Amino acid sequence: MTRTLDITGVTCPMTWVRTKLELERMTPGEELEVRCREGEALENVPRSAREAGHAVSVEGTTIRIVRA
Amino acid sequence: MSSSRRGFLRDLAGSVRDVTADARKGSDPFLAPERLERYSRQLVLPEWSEAAQRKLAGASVLVVGAGALGSPVAMYLAGAGVGRLGIVDADDVELSNLHRQLLHFTPDLGVPKAHSAAAKLGFLNPEVVVEPYQVRLDAENAAGLLEGADLVVDCSDSFETRYAVNGACCAARIPLVEAGVLGMSGLVMGIRPGEGACYRCAFPEPPPDAPSCATAGVLGPAAGVIGSLQALEALKLLTGVGEPLVGAFLQADLALLSFLRVSVERRPGCPDCAAAYA
Repeated sequence: MTRTLDITGVTCPMTWVRTKLELERMTPGEELEVRCREGEALENVPRSAREAGHAVSVEGTTIRIVRA
Repeated sequence: MSSSRRGFLRDLAGSVRDVTADARKGSDPFLAPERLERYSRQLVLPEWSEAAQRKLAGASVLVVGAGALGSPVAMYLAGAGVGRLGIVDADDVELSNLHRQLLHFTPDLGVPKAHSAAAKLGFLNPEVVVEPYQVRLDAENAAGLLEGADLVVDCSDSFETRYAVNGACCAARIPLVEAGVLGMSGLVMGIRPGEGACYRCAFPEPPPDAPSCATAGVLGPAAGVIGSLQALEALKLLTGVGEPLVGAFLQADLALLSFLRVSVERRPGCPDCAAAYA
């Protein structure tokens, strides 16, 4: 089952803090759908997620992360 | 450990705070937005995690000495979110302390350091339970002061106190971060009783003519570097993040900015730590 997370209400670094903590609670292979705003979050969250080794795809302002 | 008197009070304080916050927000109070923001710059570290943060929140640390080393140690541990900090210091703030003891300010002159420190730490992080002990730690009272602590950071300025702390930590099997600083050099050592050398294994006797920082002097930032290293090692030991310096000491020559890591073997029959292996 895909988890969802809305980070449209927070700014850096809380955008990645929220996403990272959600990912920590998931098991490998689980998918997280992150809704964010244009701009900083859309640039930084996918990059941080990739750096942490997760598989990432972006569609509009939705970031899909498969936990490594 | 939580069955001890202080541990019980800490648990009680924690549960009361959590229950009320829980009722208000209807969610895990540990993840309250202001708490996440306070710790955000360490939570984003790849090595750090919610689990590490929770370990800190549940930890009780005794800081022996609220001076040049104790200031950065207590400030960094309070800032990082350690649940309870005990601060042991019998002295009052003096004018000659202020160049290196960051917790104390000119208006604090004459105030007991334990209380001056507790006030600043409360401003820094109101989530931390700070307990000031205006007493000199010695071989007699060490065990009682250490009771309930998950870790001890020795920021004292005498060999007598260091041996008392080391002995009590070994007997109670409490991890310890030792340090000393003098002039422009210093030393840091991590001790996990039962897992390698203790402070007395490394230094069985105090040096015969050890100068004090009153006679030899000390530069503020030199003490700051050593105290910061102590705080770092304390966070590693508390959370399991990184590789703590255990069974070894780091010798720092800050005039030349040269660091030497020295491994230490356990000394068979060491009067302090033999009990930890029994």
